Amino acid sequence: MPAPAATDPGEVSDVDLVKRSQAGDMRAFDTLVTKYRGRIYAMTYHLIQNETEAWDLAQEAFIKAWRALPNFKLDAAFYTWLYRIAHNVTYDWLRKKKIQGDGEFDDERTEHRVAVGAEATPKGDAAPDTALRNAELGQRIQDAIAKLSPDHRQVIILREVEGLAYEEIAALVPCSLGTVMSRLFYARKKLQEILKDVYETTL
Amino acid sequence: MKVLPPVFLLLVSCAISWAQGGGAPQPPPAVKPATEGKVWGALIFAANDAAQLTGSQEKAPKHLGVLDERLAKVFPFKHFEILGQHQQDIFREYESWVVPSRDLFLKVDSNGPAENGGVKLHLQVWREQQVLVKSDAVLRPGSPLFIGGPKWKDGRLIFVLSLERK
Amino acid sequence: MKPPSENHDLIRWLDGEMTDAERAAFEGEMKADPALAKEAEEMRSLSASLRTHLPAEMKVPHADFFNSQIQMRIAQLEMEDSRQKPESSLESIFALFRQPWLAAASAVAVVVAGFLMIGPGGTDSEHSLILSSYTPGRGVEASTYHDSAADATVLMLDGLDEVPADRKISGISVHRSETEPEVAATTLFDAAGAPLLVISRDAAGHPLFLRNHPRG
Repeated sequence: MPAPAATDPGEVSDVDLVKRSQAGDMRAFDTLVTKYRGRIYAMTYHLIQNETEAWDLAQEAFIKAWRALPNFKLDAAFYTWLYRIAHNVTYDWLRKKKIQGDGEFDDERTEHRVAVGAEATPKGDAAPDTALRNAELGQRIQDAIAKLSPDHRQVIILREVEGLAYEEIAALVPCSLGTVMSRLFYARKKLQEILKDVYETTL
Repeated sequence: MKVLPPVFLLLVSCAISWAQGGGAPQPPPAVKPATEGKVWGALIFAANDAAQLTGSQEKAPKHLGVLDERLAKVFPFKHFEILGQHQQDIFREYESWVVPSRDLFLKVDSNGPAENGGVKLHLQVWREQQVLVKSDAVLRPGSPLFIGGPKWKDGRLIFVLSLERK
Repeated sequence: MKPPSENHDLIRWLDGEMTDAERAAFEGEMKADPALAKEAEEMRSLSASLRTHLPAEMKVPHADFFNSQIQMRIAQLEMEDSRQKPESSLESIFALFRQPWLAAASAVAVVVAGFLMIGPGGTDSEHSLILSSYTPGRGVEASTYHDSAADATVLMLDGLDEVPADRKISGISVHRSETEPEVAATTLFDAAGAPLLVISRDAAGHPLFLRNHPRG
C-alpha cells in the first residue's frame, strides 16, 4: 500500500507537520523529508536504475512538493500526494531521456546496486550459501528490471513495489485499464524470459 | 452622466419601479462604479448524443479560438453547446453576478489586480439556492477557467469564465 | 482459451483484481488445464521474488546531506523569488511565519503564501490559477490543474447531484447589465435592450431572481 492507513498514528502527525510546513516551518518539512525519503528514493531508483540520478530526482520531488504545499488541501494523505509528484518528476525525466536518445533502455546498465538486505559475500566463496544466492538473485532482478522499457518498468514498480490497484495505476500513468493489463502481462513475460535460468536453479 | 430635470428623473424612476413590479420608487442610477475589468461567462452543455442538445444558437466570442476543441481536451464529449452567455464588469467595491443561465451562475468579487493584467477574484458557483463551490482565484486574460459542473442527461454542464483583455 | 499472447485473466487473478465468482471460475480453469496452472504458478513465483528484491523503502545514500541540500536549494529558490519582487521580502515574511503565535493563523498563511509564491518568472504568472476552494456540499470535491493542451485552468467539481434528465436547463444571452448597489439589485438586458432578469438577495443573502422574461 502506498499510503499509510487512516488509523496509522503516523498519519495523524503528518497533518500537523504538513500544516506547519505550509506556514513556512522548515523544520516540520525536514521531518517529513526524513520520514519519506527512503520510500521516495526507492521509487525513483527502481524506475530509473541509476543511484546518482535517483538521488537528484528524489530531491527534486521534495523541493517541488515544498513549492506546491500552498495548493495541498489536506484532503488526501500527504504521502499519496508526495508520491504522485515524485512519480511525475521521475517519469518526465525518463521520457526526456528517451526523446534525447540517451542510451537504450534494453541494454545493460553500467551502474548496478545490490538490493538492500542482501549481505555482501567475498567473491572467492565457492559455496553458494543463501546470502550469496540472495544477493545474486537481487542483482539479477535489478538487471532484468533495467532491461524493460520505461512504460513496462513503470507498471511493474507501481504494482509490485507500491502495491497499487489497476485503477490507481491507470489514473497515475495515465492510461486505460486495458493498457495497464497489457503492459503488466508483457512485462512479466519478458522478466520470466530474462530470468529463466534463475528460476530453474534457485527457485 | 447628463443632469436631467428632477421631474423627469421622478418619472423615469417611477417607470423603472413599475416595470419591476411595484414597490417604492428607485433612486436614479448613480455614476457607474469603478471596475477591475470584464469577464465573459457561459454555460455550456457537453454531450455525446447530438439528439440531446437543446438547439441553442449561441456562439462564443472569436478571441476564445475554437472553444469546442479546447473543451474537448478536458471533457470527453463530442458536442459542446453554449446555452447562454453573459459579459459582465467586475466591480472594485461590489459583487458582480455572471448569469448566463438561472440554473448555474456565478457570483464574482474582486480582490484587486494581479500581475500580467490579471485580477484576483473570489468566485462562487451557484445552482439555484445552493453554492457549489467557493474559490479564490487569479484570472488572467487569454487563460480561461473551465468549471466542471453537474451531470445532466448523458452529458455535463460546464461553466466557462474568461477575463477580457483591456 | 485466450491466445497465448495476452492473458488478462491470468494477471487479474494474480493481482487479486477478480471478483469471488471470477476467481472461482478461473481456478476451475486452472484445475482443468495443467499448462495454465503452471504458467500461473510461475508468474506468482516471479511476483513474490520481485516483491522481495525490489524493496518499497531503501536507505538513501548520504542521508543527512540529502536533507541539507534540499533545504539549501529551497532557500536559494526563495531568494531568487524575492529578488524579483523587491517590495515584498519573501525571506522576512517566511521568517515571520515561523513564529509559534502565527500557527493559529495558518489558514491565512496558506493563502498568503500562495499569493507570494506566484513569481513573475514561472508559468504560474501567465495562467489563471485557483488558489483555494471550498465545497460546502457533502461528498463534493474540487480539484484543479492547468491543462496545457486546452490552454485553460480547470476546476473540476466531482460528487455533485445530477440534474434530473427531464429538467429543462436553458440559458440567456446577456448584453448589458445595470447594478443599483443601494438596493443590491442588478438588471440584465438582452441585445434589444429588454430586461431579462433582475437579481437581488433575500434576507438570508441568497441570490433571488425577481423576474423571468422568455428569450426574444
